Amino acid sequence: MKTTGLEIRKRIATLFFIFVVVICLLAGRFFWLQVVRGDELAERALDNRMRDITLKAKRGTIYDRNGRELAISVSTDSVYAVPAQIRKAKKEREVAQKLAEVLQMDEKEIYDRITRQVSFVWIKRQVDLETSRKLRELDLEGIGLLEESRRFYPKGTLASHVLGISGIDNTGLDGVDLYYDQLIGGTDGKIVIEHDAFGREIPEATHRYIPPIDGSSVVLTIDETIQYILERELDKVMEQRQPKAACGIVMDPKTGEILALASRPNFDPNRYNDYPADNRRNFAVHNAYEPGSTMKIVTAAAAMEEDTVKVSDRFHCPGSIKVSNRSISCAGGTSHGSMDFAGVVENSCNVGFINIGLKLGLEKYYRYLNAFGFGQKTGIDLPGEAKGIIVPQSRATQIDLATMSFGQANAVTPIQLIAAASTIANGGTYMKPHLLKQVIAPDGKIKETITPTKVRQVLSKETAKELCLILEGVVKNGSGRNAQIEGYRVAGKTGTAQKIAPGGGYMANEYVASFLGFAPADDPRLVCLIVIDAPKGYPYYGGWVAAPVFREVMADSLRYLGVPRTEISKEESNQKKTVAVPDVINLPLDEAVQTLRKVGLKVEVQGDGNLVWGQVPKANTRVEQNSRVIVYLSPVEEQQGSGQVTLPDLEGKSMKEVARILSQLGLHLSPDGHGLAYKQSPAAGTRVPVGSTIKVSFQPLE
Amino acid sequence: MRLKQGPPDLMLFLVVVLLVCIGLIMIFSASAVTSDVKYQDAFFFVKRQLIWAVFGLTAMLVLMKMNYQKLRELGVAGLILALICLVAVLLPGIGMDVKGAVRQIDLGFTSFTPSELTKLCLVFFFASSLSLNYGKIKSFVQGLLPYLVLIGVVCGLIMLQPDLGTALIIAVTAYLMLVMAGARISHMLILALLGVGLVCLAIYLEPYRMVRFIAFLDPWKYASDEGFQTIQSLYAIGSGGLFGMGLGQSRQKFFYLPEQHTDFIFAILGEELGYLGVFVVLTLLFIFAWRGFQIALKAPDIFGSLLAAGITTMITAQASINLGVVSGSLPVTGIPLPFISYGGSSLMFTMAGVGLLLSVSRYTHDR
Ligand SMILES: [Zn+2]
Repeated sequence: MKTTGLEIRKRIATLFFIFVVVICLLAGRFFWLQVVRGDELAERALDNRMRDITLKAKRGTIYDRNGRELAISVSTDSVYAVPAQIRKAKKEREVAQKLAEVLQMDEKEIYDRITRQVSFVWIKRQVDLETSRKLRELDLEGIGLLEESRRFYPKGTLASHVLGISGIDNTGLDGVDLYYDQLIGGTDGKIVIEHDAFGREIPEATHRYIPPIDGSSVVLTIDETIQYILERELDKVMEQRQPKAACGIVMDPKTGEILALASRPNFDPNRYNDYPADNRRNFAVHNAYEPGSTMKIVTAAAAMEEDTVKVSDRFHCPGSIKVSNRSISCAGGTSHGSMDFAGVVENSCNVGFINIGLKLGLEKYYRYLNAFGFGQKTGIDLPGEAKGIIVPQSRATQIDLATMSFGQANAVTPIQLIAAASTIANGGTYMKPHLLKQVIAPDGKIKETITPTKVRQVLSKETAKELCLILEGVVKNGSGRNAQIEGYRVAGKTGTAQKIAPGGGYMANEYVASFLGFAPADDPRLVCLIVIDAPKGYPYYGGWVAAPVFREVMADSLRYLGVPRTEISKEESNQKKTVAVPDVINLPLDEAVQTLRKVGLKVEVQGDGNLVWGQVPKANTRVEQNSRVIVYLSPVEEQQGSGQVTLPDLEGKSMKEVARILSQLGLHLSPDGHGLAYKQSPAAGTRVPVGSTIKVSFQPLE
Repeated sequence: MRLKQGPPDLMLFLVVVLLVCIGLIMIFSASAVTSDVKYQDAFFFVKRQLIWAVFGLTAMLVLMKMNYQKLRELGVAGLILALICLVAVLLPGIGMDVKGAVRQIDLGFTSFTPSELTKLCLVFFFASSLSLNYGKIKSFVQGLLPYLVLIGVVCGLIMLQPDLGTALIIAVTAYLMLVMAGARISHMLILALLGVGLVCLAIYLEPYRMVRFIAFLDPWKYASDEGFQTIQSLYAIGSGGLFGMGLGQSRQKFFYLPEQHTDFIFAILGEELGYLGVFVVLTLLFIFAWRGFQIALKAPDIFGSLLAAGITTMITAQASINLGVVSGSLPVTGIPLPFISYGGSSLMFTMAGVGLLLSVSRYTHDR
């Protein structure tokens, strides 16, 4: 037997020493984990084991400017139990029996729930008012009610594109409800309970209760009545002309407040899932379109402000103009002859505007495009606003400048266009369009009042005033006559733009008809833009399709707001001789022109063809002598070649006349009653096959 | 030479009994929830561990009473038996497949882990053989090589199961015994480098080991899969703080921490008993190592020295690696904590080893 030598003993001792070091290191490591980082790790471990029961905050109400509710939160109570409390009171049987009675649920099921080994359990979600009242009276041990809320839009489809939608989890998904979700939504509360790895509650678990903070209410600049008027008129035109889309905006030019904003097609935010998702597209802010002639107000404003034109300047229109070897024609290719600047605007003469634009030059034109806010977001408080498409200045050619001057080449959004028009209407200041007027805290106190934002001065007061007068002329004498409102001075501009085909170029048969205007012309209170995208039937002109919508909206809105009428001085009305406008509908063009000239009226022709399909003003209206009557033409081949004809407006005509007109078109009459026509089916503007029977109702004059 | 018989090392005995008791309590606390769910019996694991503890205590007392020198011949026989069992467990129909590894032999009423037997038998055989070959070990070919071949065979068989953790413990213990037995430090350093190379190769060959290895370096990045155990373990330990959440109050045992009553039982201990509990166990471990190596230093012969040092090294190294894994300082290897983790064979053979250690302690003399 060998005794252990020194070498072995030394090595054993060294190994022991190494183990002592290892044990000390471990002691240090555990000290670091448990004492130094203990709180942090414990917190993370707890978070890892916590499960939440979310308590939804109540969304704030959305009011119109007069305090009328547009979106509200409906509270419903949900019943929950705290089993430990019931156990403590030893009232399981009694509670189960009483609950079963009130909630009309199975007693055994309730008993099972309230005796579960959990600290919190839902008994029934979203019970009705009567039930929650009864439960409150009973005041059962360990049974409580938690308020849960749901979004409700009491006005249904009204202002849907402004208000937006809220999801089932009570969060804003679109519109103001989304844009101001942080404000309106409040902060959700929660009950947090510790759980095991499979989501079951740990006995004697840790609890936390974080109460929800209700959202603030918002007051919008929207006026429910004006919104209603606008939507009513949009619905009317949607029914009559079945366009692909439409939109309208009414704005206060002095403050930038949006008083009404609507897009079509529409949807009901309470059941938005029943509608195609495309219906939620807000034309007014999401779509950029080529505006056509309404854009000429920008060219006019720029040229006037820069003194490129004087009101007294004379222009000559030969019917077309050559720019960089490209020939651009005036509408219809007919000459407008010689006219002053106001005449160029009234006639919407492309050649005139091209000349003005070219004289102005690219640099100055772009300066005004930018100043009027084109190519940039207006900053309206709605989600998803489009910027529009402006030809980049660096790449712009003389052709671009020429086409831009009369409203082609650039794409703008309706909200941009109305903001630009407001600038002209209010004396030259660009106001930021906005929807939020006031924020009200959950306790009812006013948290914030939004003041109008002046963005920049674009025009001098004088230029703006002058342009207003010229635009008034467009409505008085020019293409905007359908926008005339009795008793008010109206200024405006029509627009009819051929739509751009998806692959480039223009579509043959689709137009965007629009009207942009304001009233009263000397001190504008309201600016309104109506855009109708691809109306069916003929005529498709802005002055024919959009201007009447504008007229109805503005007339009712001005009256509702109590805007005083302008007294037309007796002197003026006595001096001028008035004549009754003859009926020229369905007459060949030359015959119509002769008829009108005979009574001393001027004729403005719109469209191609040789048959008159519409006239403004209507027959028998009294107008000043020498004023203009617009006749809308329709191409003969379109009317006859396709085997389809467009129905004229028969209202106010005698049965004899109606019969004559219909037989000329190859249609049959099915009359009802006697006297003058007041109702027809299908409506005017509808295209029907030759040989169809048209129902017309007549009623005698009172 | 007849040796004078003295009393066994009482402090070592008490430390081991204390550690086993702490183990039983912690197994109950850590497994009550899971075993109640899985087996409808909160005492499922603790009952089994108690039976094995009784077996282990018996083995410990019997071996303690024996003269370790008289058991010398048993060393070879034990090693041969262990090797047979290691081969047998790999045969289909004998080994029990648990989670993709075959480590146990089903004995009907219970199961038996051959690698635990092997561990003890190898230490015993090494102590016996190295003491006889003292001096020869300095030669590489004649002294060291046969032992290395034996280590290679044993570890190779265990890795076939596969059980990397136990193979690692055996290799580390055998290696340290060779060092203590007087092998050349230069030889051992080269071997150490080779060993590191082999570990790298093992990791390289089995991708899951690689992921485990990387996960250990940055567990938060792999929090949902490979780093999961480490992170849940750190959560548990950290939640304990200085004084712990109280016995039975662990939160992490609610299915968050896997292996909470086996390899990761120390994390639950840390959570429930805090740093104080951890410190007590580390102190007991220190006392164990101190007494163990003290016995080795005072043993009457080289065999006794190497046997005591080998057993102490085996248990202390295993405990250190386990605590390193639990505290996130080492990659997850799957090694239980001696005396405390659930596992019958492990407990019984570890306690048997302590019996041998106590047997040596009875013949120590101060120099
Ligand atoms: Zn012209």
